[in-house]
Amino acid sequence: MKKIKIAFKPWMGFVLFGIALALIPLLAEYTTFVKSSTIITIGGTVIFAIAALGLNILLGYSGLISLGTAGFMGLAAYLSAYMTVDLGLPFEVSLIVAVLVPTLIGVLVGLISLKIEGMYLAIATLAVSEILRKTFEEFEFITNGFSGKSARFPQLLGFIQLDRASTYYLIVVVLVIAMLLTYNMMNGQVGRAFNAMRGSESAASAMGVYSLKYRLIAFALATILASLAGVMYVHFIRFAYPSTWNLKLSLDFLAMIVIGGLRSIYGTVLGAFIVFAIPDLFLKQIPFFNQLSYVLNGVLIIEVIMFYPSGLINIGFDIKRLWLKLRKGIHDAGK
Amino acid sequence: MSIFIQIFLRSLETGSVYALAALGIILVFRTSNITNFSQGALGMFNTFVVVSIFNNFGVPLWVAIIGGLISALLIGMMIDLVIIRHTKKVSPVAKQIITLGLIMILVRLAPIFFGVDPLNLPRLIPEGNLTLVGANISYNGLFNILFGLMVMGGLFYILQYTKVGLAIRTTASNEYTARLMGVPTKTVTLGAWAVGSMLGVISGVMIAPTTTVTLNLMDVVQINAFVAAVLGGFQTFYGPVVGAYIIGVVSNLLLFYVSPVWGGQILYVLILLFLTVRPYGLFGKKVVKKV
Amino acid sequence: MMLENNELLKIEALSIQFGGLKAVDQLSFTIHEKEIFGLIGPNGAGKTTVFNCITQFYKPNHGNIYFRNIKDEVINLVDLKVHQVIRQGVVRTFQNVELIRELSILDNVLIGAHIDYKTGVISQALRLPKAVKEEAIYKAKAEEILKKLGIYERKDMLVFGQPYGILKKVELARTFMSDPKLVILDEPAAGLNDVETLQLAKTIRQIRDDFNCSVLLVEHDMRLVMDVCDTICAINFGKFLAQGTAKDIQKNPLVQEAYLGKEEHDE
Repeated sequence: MKKIKIAFKPWMGFVLFGIALALIPLLAEYTTFVKSSTIITIGGTVIFAIAALGLNILLGYSGLISLGTAGFMGLAAYLSAYMTVDLGLPFEVSLIVAVLVPTLIGVLVGLISLKIEGMYLAIATLAVSEILRKTFEEFEFITNGFSGKSARFPQLLGFIQLDRASTYYLIVVVLVIAMLLTYNMMNGQVGRAFNAMRGSESAASAMGVYSLKYRLIAFALATILASLAGVMYVHFIRFAYPSTWNLKLSLDFLAMIVIGGLRSIYGTVLGAFIVFAIPDLFLKQIPFFNQLSYVLNGVLIIEVIMFYPSGLINIGFDIKRLWLKLRKGIHDAGK
Repeated sequence: MSIFIQIFLRSLETGSVYALAALGIILVFRTSNITNFSQGALGMFNTFVVVSIFNNFGVPLWVAIIGGLISALLIGMMIDLVIIRHTKKVSPVAKQIITLGLIMILVRLAPIFFGVDPLNLPRLIPEGNLTLVGANISYNGLFNILFGLMVMGGLFYILQYTKVGLAIRTTASNEYTARLMGVPTKTVTLGAWAVGSMLGVISGVMIAPTTTVTLNLMDVVQINAFVAAVLGGFQTFYGPVVGAYIIGVVSNLLLFYVSPVWGGQILYVLILLFLTVRPYGLFGKKVVKKV
Repeated sequence: MMLENNELLKIEALSIQFGGLKAVDQLSFTIHEKEIFGLIGPNGAGKTTVFNCITQFYKPNHGNIYFRNIKDEVINLVDLKVHQVIRQGVVRTFQNVELIRELSILDNVLIGAHIDYKTGVISQALRLPKAVKEEAIYKAKAEEILKKLGIYERKDMLVFGQPYGILKKVELARTFMSDPKLVILDEPAAGLNDVETLQLAKTIRQIRDDFNCSVLLVEHDMRLVMDVCDTICAINFGKFLAQGTAKDIQKNPLVQEAYLGKEEHDE
């Protein structure tokens, strides 16, 4: 008899993961286990995971650091809010423009990255982000300055008005697509070129990897994802302040990918949950400690780095290895 | 002309604030290879300590400042003893995340200890102005400039001419070799964190009277100190200090003569352009990798 | 025509200096098609500098490096950038093995096919059929090469933690992905034990025949050079000393002097 075997493909994993995320609002509606404010927290986390994924392409795969993620995300957020609210443009149009403009700037930074390395690049990108943030404060015409800019839930194709829950589904879909495309790219020729650039600049150029081209691609991909996250943010949270897009947020993204695991796609999402969602979802539930939830999160982040510097995503392998070792030990003892 | 001198003097004052913070960052960076993003948060927290000692105990301001310095010293040492010392195997990027964790802890603890209201810190020298070629500068401002120069002069003297300084410089150039030669590198790192943290509170106390003491007190200082480090180069101790004064002066000149709105952004763009020409800053050199 | 019929690479009056030091001085030599060519010299003779000049990691101050490329045109390598050199059919290994530790052996070898990919970022991201097909073709090619070098079973292991001999083979495998006309090996025997060195000699001859290419090797290990090279060129202080077969070189008094020093030569 012939057996019909369905091979488990990586894309199925991402889709299943997306379905699991999408179920959370339903749980909120039909059970008391999940609160509805949870959706905002988890939605925010998913948005930050999208931007962090871009940073992982840049730092994890290509070895190029950036502390500019927050600035690019903010720029996209303001642009999209301005175009949909003030100019009355369709969501789709403003999405495209709001992604394109920051990406052009991101590519410029990629050009700079040819000359500047390491810590210098980190601070240079921080400077770019600061230029953007100061501009958000001053350019009231678009950003409404310190008072903050408001936006609406997205309207798709001009007539499908989304609400909070459906915007959440949209965000989850964007994340799943981003994960899928990132996975495909990073496991092919482009991803290998990134890896080569990070691992050995000399080997990369000897093998014909044109480092200018791939640096620009890496910065473009990272900025595209940061901008997508910015657009999703402003249409989900429906508000943006200049102070949101500061150094702290860029460092948060860095923390997400380092804690979750460099070059790990699921790890990025895990990292986003730890940095962004854990204080709101869990730490605040601990009696007497709710005031300290963010302090505890800081402690948690430091602990993870100290005791698990390779990223929490690897914890699965390590538990498995420990289990095999234990079983072998028991087996040997039995003899 | 007098306006120019006026701006120049003011710039020296902000320059010293940035320079002290930048020196704290570079001390820690060169001895423990950590880009300390929590330099600002440390300065902010300990400035709160100064304000609350001053407000609650009715002591003179200088006594409160000494209290803040002691608290800074203890916190700085604690950070090294409890955390940094145990991160030998951690990559430089991951070490940056540790300082992010420190920011989260300090920024969230501050309101619990010191309340959520913005506080005020008076000047150390409450009043009096010096008129110099038609330009005015407060005695306090002058004191800040001179005190900043004194602190930095003292530190550079120690770095350059004493045995302790030699130990620090050896650790900075190669930690492994330094340890082999018997330099107590652990103590050097401990000292760097303590001094870095104290420099943070000094810059905090200097900037506080010009604004209110809030959680964001040091944000601008922190970022300008980092940009100063890049401008001057991470490879020397004096580079970031020089960079800090340049940023102080040029940013004020740009804000006054070019644009009060865009001055800051123009400065950063200029620095970025400068970096494309000199990627390792004013005093840095490229390290060539052999294949 | 700068190159005769069966000439592949011709170095002409190559000079480069660092500061005041002349690392390579007026050096000329020619490598023929399907030849195994050895470049020897005592420590600091400038061998690796010659390599870096050919592969454009260094830009020579003077001189030309003519090469008959894949399209059978004669070009001057000096006019190219580092990443363009491999497209002409010149590919190198490194003295201190430059591999990507976090990738599998197979992926490391696939980096060698980088320039052959026709599909772009977007088709790869979307896994369009042409991208999938292309990846499969090069994967098969890489596996084939790994089989030839006898490390196929390890293809899915990470490079990190592999023994040195294996790493050297992975680097070799990576060079063959681009179907080169000239493979440049930088001290391939460094760090190998005697058995591995013997094996390497066999591998070098085998790859010349299997992949139909010339090999230029810089080497310290005299036995390997004498054993495997058709032609040897000796240099010292960046200057040409002698060229010939293994026997010629062994007998050459200039070479002996360079290696052994004058006094020892007298006794």
